[in-house]
This record gives sequence, C-alpha cells and structure tokens, in this order.
Amino acid sequence: MADRRRINGPVGTTIAPIYDDAPEQKSQVAMATRSRPANVIRKMYLKTGVTPSASGSAYLEIESSGNGGSGLKLSCSVHGPRALPRSTPFSPHIILSTHVKFAPFATKQRRGYLRDPIERDLGTHLEAALRGSIIADRWPKSGVDIIISIVEGEQDREISKAQGIEAWDTMNALSGCITVASAALADAGIDCVDTVAGGVAALVQDAGDDAAPSIVVDPIPAEHEKVLAACCIAYLPTRQEVTNLWFKGDLPASDMDVYTQLVEKGIQASKSANRVLVDCLNETVG
Amino acid sequence: MASSQHVLLSPAELAYLHASLSLTPPIRPDGRSPTQFRPLVAETGILPGTNGSARICFADGTEAIVGVKAEVERTRTRHDFPSLDEGAEGDDDDLEDNQHDVVKGDNDWVEMTVEIPGYRDDDAGTVFLSAMLSEALLADGEFTKRLWINRRFHWKLYLDILLISPPLSYPLPLLSLTTHLALLATRLPRLKSEGDEDPLFDDDWAAAAYLYPRPAAKKGSKKTTSFATPTARPPVTLLVMAVGNNIIFDPSKEELAVADVALAVSVGESSNPSSSTAMDIETEETKGHHNLRILSVRTIDPPSRLTPPGIPNASNSAYGANAAGAKDTEKKKQQQEQARTAESEAVEGVWKAPRGGAKPLVLAALVQKVLEKGGVADEVLDALDGVDLN
Repeated sequence: MADRRRINGPVGTTIAPIYDDAPEQKSQVAMATRSRPANVIRKMYLKTGVTPSASGSAYLEIESSGNGGSGLKLSCSVHGPRALPRSTPFSPHIILSTHVKFAPFATKQRRGYLRDPIERDLGTHLEAALRGSIIADRWPKSGVDIIISIVEGEQDREISKAQGIEAWDTMNALSGCITVASAALADAGIDCVDTVAGGVAALVQDAGDDAAPSIVVDPIPAEHEKVLAACCIAYLPTRQEVTNLWFKGDLPASDMDVYTQLVEKGIQASKSANRVLVDCLNETVG
Repeated sequence: MASSQHVLLSPAELAYLHASLSLTPPIRPDGRSPTQFRPLVAETGILPGTNGSARICFADGTEAIVGVKAEVERTRTRHDFPSLDEGAEGDDDDLEDNQHDVVKGDNDWVEMTVEIPGYRDDDAGTVFLSAMLSEALLADGEFTKRLWINRRFHWKLYLDILLISPPLSYPLPLLSLTTHLALLATRLPRLKSEGDEDPLFDDDWAAAAYLYPRPAAKKGSKKTTSFATPTARPPVTLLVMAVGNNIIFDPSKEELAVADVALAVSVGESSNPSSSTAMDIETEETKGHHNLRILSVRTIDPPSRLTPPGIPNASNSAYGANAAGAKDTEKKKQQQEQARTAESEAVEGVWKAPRGGAKPLVLAALVQKVLEKGGVADEVLDALDGVDLN
C-alpha cells in the first residue's frame, strides 16, 4: 500500500513556468543607459561608528541605478585588536581575518547561511587589500576580525536576467567592501599606512550602433550591452601603491594599452572613493 | 593558506635572500635564471577511468594529478533566457540555419574542485585557487560551448584537481599546468544521434573526439604542424613575483617569502586571429608565436608580509639601546628618534616585512613580461606542445 501520509514531489526538478510579456512590449522597454560621464562614480553614503559594541564600524550605501533596482548596502564591523587565544602559535604580526557574507535576501537568488565560494573568494581579496595598508607589526600576538555583511546587493530588477551579470557584480561588491572596511579600520583606531579604497573600471560594449568598446569607471553591468573586461583595484593614494588588483575578462595580449588604461581608470575610481572616505573620517574627527 | 604558510627562515636569512634576489642579474637559491621554470615531468592519459587525465611532478617533489570526468546532463530550459530557445518557434529549415548560433554554454556545466592535503576544502586558500583556475577557464565563454550536445542535452564536466604531495611551494602554477594538459587530453565519445534526439554515442573509444580538436596532420610531421596546432587551448596561469627591480618567474616557497609583490596571470590562446592581415604576418613569423589573450590577473597576498622582522642594532638592547647608561634626556630623545626611523625606514641588511602595496608601474611590468612576444607565456605554451598526448 502506498504511503498516504506524505505527498512526494515529482522526481525530476522542474521550473515553474514564467509567462513572458509579448515581445513587442519587451522591445519598447528601452535598456537603461549610463547617464553619468564615463569617469564619474556613483554617489555614495558612508558613515562610521554605526555599531556601538564593535571597536570600529562603518556603513556604506551606493546609489541605485535608478530604474527599479537597488544599490549596494554594506555594513562592516571590526572587532579587535585583541589577544589571540593561548593555543595559537606566536605571530609577530596582527592576524587579520576577513569575513564577507551576503545576507540571504541580498540578491535575486537567495543565498544560504553558509558562505559560498564567491563569498570566500571575496574575503581573500579583501584580506590582501587590507593587509597592505595595515601596519601589522605594531600588534604582535593579536588578531582582528573584519566582518562585512552585504545587506543589499546591487541588482537591476528588469535586466539582470541574462547570465553572467552576477559575475561582474562581485567586482563592484568587492570595491565597496574594501572602502567600507578601510573606514571601519580607521574608526577602530588601527594604524594604517594610508586609507585604502576600492575602485572598478570596465571595458564595455554599448548597445545599438556598433560603437567601439569604451572604458567606464564604476560600471553597472545592466546598463551596457556587454562587459568585455573589468578590473577592481585597491589603491593607497598618498603612497601611490596598489594593494590588490583583480582583472577579469578577455583581452588580446597585443593591446596592452587597453589593459593599462583599465588599471589607470580603476585607480581613478579608487581615488574618487577615497575622497568620500577621507571626508567621512574628517567629519567624525572634527 | 598556501601563500601565507609559514616559512622557517630567520630574519637574517630573509634579508640575505632578498638582497641576492635584488642583484642584477638576480641570484636564485637554486641557480635558475629569472624566467626559468623548475624542471618537471609530465604525462597524460594516466587514468583509464576518466575522459582525460594528467600528472605533473615538479623537481621539488610536488606532484599533482587531474582527472576530468564528463556526464550527460539534461539542459534545463530557461524561460528567463530567451536567446536559448529562440529557434524553437521557427520551422525546421530555419532551425538548421540557426543551429550554429544556438550553441550556448553555461558556467554551471563545469565543476571544479581543488584538493590540497592538510587543508579543508572550504579553506580560503583552496577556494581562492579554484576560483582563479575556473575564472580563467570560463573567461572567454568559449569553453562551455564545447560542452553543448544539442538543445536538450549537454556535457557536465567535472574537473578534479588533486595535489598528492604536501604543498611545498605555492601550488598554483603546478595545478594550472596539470589542468591544462588534462583538458588537452580530454576526449568525449562521438555523437551518433542527430538533432535534438536523446543523445546516442559511439562506443568505440578510438573514435572519441578531443574536447580541444587537433589539426588533421598528426604526430608524423611534428615540426611542420607547429603553426597548424593553434586551435584554441585551455588557459595557463603563471605565477610572477617582483623583488627590487627584478621580475622572477615560478618562485619557490623561499623566494616567495621575500617577494615585494606576487601576481597570478592567466593567459589563453585564441583560435581566430583578429584580422586576416595579422594572420599573414603571423605565418611568416617564426614558430612559437601564439595569439595570446589575457584572461585574468590577481594579486596574491605574498607571505613576506607575515615574516618576522629583524631588529636593527639601533633599537637592540643587547647593543646598548635603552641601556642604563642613557640617563640624560637628550640622549634618550635621540635614541627614541633612532628607534622611530628604525621602524619606518629600511636598514640595510635587516629584514623588514614589506608594507603597503606595489607601484602600478611594477604591476604593469610584470604583466608585460608575461605577455610580450617570445616571452615566458609563449615559451611555456611551446614547452607544453612537446608533451605527448595519448
């Protein structure tokens, strides 16, 4: 006799059907286009000292693209420097541990509570970016935890249907993470050689007339037909040094100029973000 | 993990190593030239149960094997991705014409795992390695198209990368080269069915097609095929580091421990040259020229930042700093100043972990050095051509 106590689901996986709007209607909805000049980043709001219980904290919000999408909202808290547990071996430097987590509801596709590979990868990038800026040998035998939660990911409700856009969004998320973590470290009073900030530049192909690919800073992938390559930079402006570089894309090796320009634009974006960061820190002090 | 593992070198040894690597030309502990790789043993097709496999053993004793397994999987129709089922409404003739355009890949069709003994598979370093390797593989979007069977089915490729020795050096170049060879040796059974039928395969393994097709001319005439070989090939990730003014390739663990900056550069090769004129020039050029593409670049947190610093004599109490003799405030102040400069400025012969990042120019030079014509990437790809793929 069949088991009547439970109703088993179908064996294979299925996807609930989604009925598209009529195609004519779809073409009428114009794709969002970039309204900013190519070398201007979006407005951002940064505030330090939002979590009283942490030794340093910051909150960053980046303006949304403006057509029903949401901007990036990040909150970072820094715990420490504090003594390491007795069992850990001696370390002549401060031990950084970075933890980046998307809130389960932050993106279109729900994220689990466990960190997935993308989040771990972001954590490693962030660690590399921050380790260059911290003066680590002033705190031997101690550790600091940097915890970032991405409360709301960047996404466009209309367009981010197609594949591959999320991959580019992680770069924007990383640049936000670097900026907010830097503000939180300053708020915690941890000595740094400089304030590090993140910036993204991308080589994009715009829709319509077969325009040549152009380089824009702080790209919103949904606003462009195709992103060919992107680059995320963590930059120390007073030392003029790059602590983290992440380039991804597909460029012929013969035009190294494009690559160099992309890195330069990334640095420029990072400098712009750094201005916001410095203003925010000045406000707190003053 | 791997990049930040502890190196058992004293500050004095680190300072010595750094100094000898900063000389022109640099003197490396194992006597290699700056662009020379460690000797290695490579073989493919070692695992009969896989679709493709490879093993590489470096001279320092690190060894990796990669197995590639393919499974047929039903493609989930995506209602939110109209370009995939575009041709569905058209009649049959139309469909035949569109057949080529319909070929689409999905990044979910490739699954890569990296296993390094002694580390958890969710360890940050392991995840970083596998993210780096898969990022390069999927960068151009061409790879997944090779896994397309028909509109209803595709191959799902499992790439399992195993380091079977303890990680004696940062394993990135080793894993990348092994993966490259395994993918070159990967074969998929020949498809017998047509169109959108349920796929039926030829059970003759000898008829199986390579995932990366070879040119028709085979082993008989090795030299002449050299410029026919460049159909596309899987990417290679190279590890480069800079010490002082020198650029050093394939650093060993000890060398990486004094690196100012370390970079992983993924390089691919494209099959179609950008223009026909370019192709004419290329055929005239000597062999060894590859149509390189830059796929990804990542800075790697160099373990040098975690090394213990040396103490200069100025601030070492054994050499009279802060000694009881320093009574008067004048002297004390002077000593404090000395100690401060000792903390912020480099003293010759005393090791100090690097602070800050790298100059953009240095980073550009590193990438340039990898990609330049006849550079290291060309050399590595040429060397890999020499491996017998069975």
